[in-house]
Amino acid sequence: MCDARDLDALCLAKSYFDLKEYDRAAYFLRGCRSQKAYFLYMYSRYLSGEKKKDDETVDSLGPLEKGQVRNEALRELRVELSKKHSAGELDGFALYLYGVVLRKLDLLKEAVEIFVAATHALPLHWGSWLELCNLITNIEMLKSLSLPECWVRDFFMAHMFTELQMIKEALQKYQSLMEAGFAKSTYIISQIAVAYHNIRDIDQALYLFNELREQDPFRIENMDTFSNLLYVRSMKPELSYLAHNLVEIDKYRVETCCVIGNYYSLRSQHEKAALYFQRALKLNPRCLGAWTLMGHEYMEMKNTSAAIQAYRHAIEVNKRDYRAWYGLGQTYEILKMPFYSLYYYRKAHQLRPNDSRMLVALGECYEKLSQQVEAKKCYWRAYSVGDVERMALLKLAKLHEQLNEFDDAAQCYIIYIQDIFSCGEQLEHAEVSTALRYLGQYYFKNKLYDEASLCAQRCCDYNDAREEGKALLRQISAVREQGEPSSTDLSVPCVFNPLSNNTTPVRRVSPLDLSSVTP
Amino acid sequence: MMTNGVVHANIFGIKDWVTPYKIAVLALLHEMSTTKPMALLDRRRLNKLILPLQQGPDLTLEQFLKIVEECCLRMVNAVKHRYASSLNKELFFKKNFILKTPEPLITFSLFLGLFMRQMLLAYNKLSFSQVYKLYKSLQQYCHRVQPELSALPTEDMELTSNEDPSAESDESQGPLSQKQAEYFLARQAYLLKNDENKAMSPAKLQDELNNILKFNPDFAEAHYLSYLNSIRVQDIYISTHSLLHYFDRLILSGGEGKSNGDEGYGRSLRYAVLNLATLHCRFGHYQQADLALQEAIRIAQEANDHVCLQHCLSWLYTLEQMKGSDSVVLTEDSVKIAAHFCLPYLASLGIQSLVQQGAKQGMPANKLLDALRGTDIMHWKQSLSELIEISLAQTTSIWRMYGKSTMARQQAQLLLNMNSLEPVNFSVQQNNTEAFAVALCHLAELHAEQGLYAVVSDIMKHLKQQFPPHTQHAKLWMLCDLKIQFEKAMNDGKYHLAEPHVTAISALNSTEGLYRKAQLLKALNQTTEASQILQQLQQQCEKSKDIEMTIRVMLASAELHWDSSGFATALPLLLQALALSRQHNLQSLTSETLLHLAFTQLMLGIPEQALVLVQDVLESVLAHGSLIDKGRALLLAARCQMALAGAAAQEHRLTALEQAVHTLDEAAVYFSQLDCKERMRDIHYLQARLHHTLGNISQRNKCSMLFRLLDQELPSSGMTVVSHL
Repeated sequence: MCDARDLDALCLAKSYFDLKEYDRAAYFLRGCRSQKAYFLYMYSRYLSGEKKKDDETVDSLGPLEKGQVRNEALRELRVELSKKHSAGELDGFALYLYGVVLRKLDLLKEAVEIFVAATHALPLHWGSWLELCNLITNIEMLKSLSLPECWVRDFFMAHMFTELQMIKEALQKYQSLMEAGFAKSTYIISQIAVAYHNIRDIDQALYLFNELREQDPFRIENMDTFSNLLYVRSMKPELSYLAHNLVEIDKYRVETCCVIGNYYSLRSQHEKAALYFQRALKLNPRCLGAWTLMGHEYMEMKNTSAAIQAYRHAIEVNKRDYRAWYGLGQTYEILKMPFYSLYYYRKAHQLRPNDSRMLVALGECYEKLSQQVEAKKCYWRAYSVGDVERMALLKLAKLHEQLNEFDDAAQCYIIYIQDIFSCGEQLEHAEVSTALRYLGQYYFKNKLYDEASLCAQRCCDYNDAREEGKALLRQISAVREQGEPSSTDLSVPCVFNPLSNNTTPVRRVSPLDLSSVTP
Repeated sequence: MMTNGVVHANIFGIKDWVTPYKIAVLALLHEMSTTKPMALLDRRRLNKLILPLQQGPDLTLEQFLKIVEECCLRMVNAVKHRYASSLNKELFFKKNFILKTPEPLITFSLFLGLFMRQMLLAYNKLSFSQVYKLYKSLQQYCHRVQPELSALPTEDMELTSNEDPSAESDESQGPLSQKQAEYFLARQAYLLKNDENKAMSPAKLQDELNNILKFNPDFAEAHYLSYLNSIRVQDIYISTHSLLHYFDRLILSGGEGKSNGDEGYGRSLRYAVLNLATLHCRFGHYQQADLALQEAIRIAQEANDHVCLQHCLSWLYTLEQMKGSDSVVLTEDSVKIAAHFCLPYLASLGIQSLVQQGAKQGMPANKLLDALRGTDIMHWKQSLSELIEISLAQTTSIWRMYGKSTMARQQAQLLLNMNSLEPVNFSVQQNNTEAFAVALCHLAELHAEQGLYAVVSDIMKHLKQQFPPHTQHAKLWMLCDLKIQFEKAMNDGKYHLAEPHVTAISALNSTEGLYRKAQLLKALNQTTEASQILQQLQQQCEKSKDIEMTIRVMLASAELHWDSSGFATALPLLLQALALSRQHNLQSLTSETLLHLAFTQLMLGIPEQALVLVQDVLESVLAHGSLIDKGRALLLAARCQMALAGAAAQEHRLTALEQAVHTLDEAAVYFSQLDCKERMRDIHYLQARLHHTLGNISQRNKCSMLFRLLDQELPSSGMTVVSHL
């Protein structure tokens, strides 16, 4: 009945609201009693405050006042809403609005309570779930909340897992959702693609994004992530195609600007790239990715001070942005301050304990500071958590070599070669020859001539090591002619037995394994 | 707005803007300048008021009026009226307002004139909507406090009426303008440096800083203050974070700063690493500090920055010293290069550090004091007051080490009575440096030696107040306090009281703690344990080349030998100690060793030699020694006299014995001042025996009664008088 009586006012107000005349909408709704009208009334007041705040920012009294411009309506809204809330008169939407107001006033604890209540009152309103997601900082907090039993909850959990970098759990959730009938949802596909991006499974992510573009060709959301992937793979034509396409759809979107920025960056036109990232930031100053990317661009342009500032901004927006911390570390490393950058790398490592890149970077810093023990630990850990760039072992091996720990070095080289060959793809690893060369010499020294000659032969496959391989083969045959027996006894057991101390590789190898990894 | 990728936060260079509060201050200024007849006292009070009003954070109108009222009652109404009128008319800001201001009171070029002109300028820059906003906030400002102040119709005021009161309270601590924030930071930083007790409490200061940073994240200086603040509470995590954040921000502004382009930028990088090194130094992470320092040195070398390199070098030798290794060569280098590059501060610091090391290693005293005097002349010429303080404190320490208590006392007093050359800001004089702490600790110990415990407790109270327990130099007085209490407990024979002090001392200084433990065990007759500890200490001291402690340990070991009647075995130890102490000019230790030697000789049955030794050393002990030393020396002299008298012929004997009684009397004076009952008992016993021999019956009876009283009072009465110095 209320709804019927308020219908006219509501329609009028809705039209004003759609025209962004919020105050006007609120004025005509002030006497309405129905829940719907009440929400629209309050919501337009809220938005009107927000709009005024944005306008104020442009002509604030002084530069320092920039941060002080507030939405003046928030307090009144809070008072009114809290009165209604204690009387129990708020519906799901109004609860959501109440939560938003609380969050804007930095009353985070209360806001979480209200959002939980909102999800209970109206589980299908995704907005309250999303707001809740922004307020949850760790898994313990997530577990402590009592959320309504509803299918939306599964979406929320999956989203939350992605946010908290628990990718495996997230993928499981999404998979089960797809099996439950959401197989065609573009949202789920995009989320899975983002999840794969987060664990740096680039091929899977690329495949999914391509599929997504086919199903939803005018989508702009998440395309910045897609462009990141294309960038990493240096797929110039695809990236340029994507950029063209997005500009056609809407050129004033943050995602579009990021894509274009990435495109220019890939073409090494870093000034232009930085310009586009700046534009993205103008469109949305709280766009985290753009700050970090801009930092990367400045790094490319060797403008370290600007890069540092960009990264700092990114950290200000989100303290948990590991890429910005990592970028800061890199900047200082470029400035030849390895000790200084340790702090930043450590921060990044704290945020992503299982990311090998931070560990390798940490190891490199320690190596530069001649802290070999720490460096070794870092490299070994990087290998243990799954080294993406496959550099950790090589560096570890070289470190062992420097420290004259020949057995350990050989062991690392063996695992390295196995890794390279067993992953199937023929990456261009010039370092394989280094490893083979070292192994050849090592076996030769230990009089394991069969293995040595095998390694030497492999060496000959590589241009830079061919000569040395041949020389080694000659040496071996010379020694063999002298009739020295190859010692296959246990004089050099270390390579095949477990190594001492903490750098013990889990897998053990027999020398014959090498023959089986022929490319 | 964005050049070279750097966002310039302050486009127009305006650091201040017009707020309702500022207008109130202007109204006050105007009233002051126009009201001609005013009592001199009122005017003076108002004048004093203006600076804090102008620099402080924004107040509410109520607070503002209250402050003005306290100074000058008549002024309030006038200001109120003017302020209200500013609402009615077109805004208060009219050019003619400032032009009309009578010249002699407020000149344009001076402080207040500048403030007025700044306000005018800021006002003129406002756009229409900003002026409207200012007008509205002015209205609110008035109405929130005193609705009757303005008679304006207020239809839009209902907006504020339904605010909940809880929200209002947090608003009273309003945001600061950049200028106000700068004043705030400068003041707090100054207070932190000079007199921490007057600065805000760490938690509150951090709150304020967070507030400033929330409103203006680009305000890098606030990060630095946050670094200083968290160092105060020993929070490594936040202090590192703030320090790095500060330099990240500074690096940006460095490029456009005073120094040209790239140079300024690289400079702040170098100092960033150097600061990080000092941070780790301060927290005792020597390895980290070492790495950071190496990095700073490398970058500075690449950039050919000799000044920075010098700073690095002086930190390097400080670090080496802290790690306990020898750094004389490094320090000497540092002094030479610093002198070459005309860096007097660093050079002097280096010399002072050298003097300290030299004193420990037994360099000739005249050289050390000469070096200090040489640098002192330069300090006075260049007004380096901090170094003057350090040098005075160092002289105090050196004199005390040499055992010249009068000179030490004099130097300490000189330091404490000196007027600092630094300008006095915010009515706070710098007196919280390490130099002051050291001097005060020495004074406390010197007074304790003379048995003036009331004075000592006063000094300690002052120290506790000036250097609260969490601060950097607090450990100095803590150790000093514990030592004094330990000595007192030992002198009084209250060993159970001394025991907890030993544990506390070990926590602050392990070597000292071990030594005290050995002393305590010795006093408790646990000789085996004591000798074990002493041996351990001996090794430690040889390693660290701590001469003073080595000699003390030797003396203590010699005393252990006495306990087992091994007087002959104690002799070589004592002679070694004597040689060492003479070599290092340690006079008090020399005389102590001589007394020990004399006692040993007495026990070995050569009282003539012993008496000669005692008489030799008596003069310097009476001049410089502590009360207990004086008493002990006299007691020993008396005992020698007694022993000699026993062997002398009949006619000399009586006079010799009388002499001994006289000496004992003197010793008794010192011991009674210290309230040292055990010794008093010994003296009474000896005196009773002497009087008995001399035939003074009444005197004898009196002494024996005193002896009996004390003997009953004291717990154990093993005849310690035999094997005790």
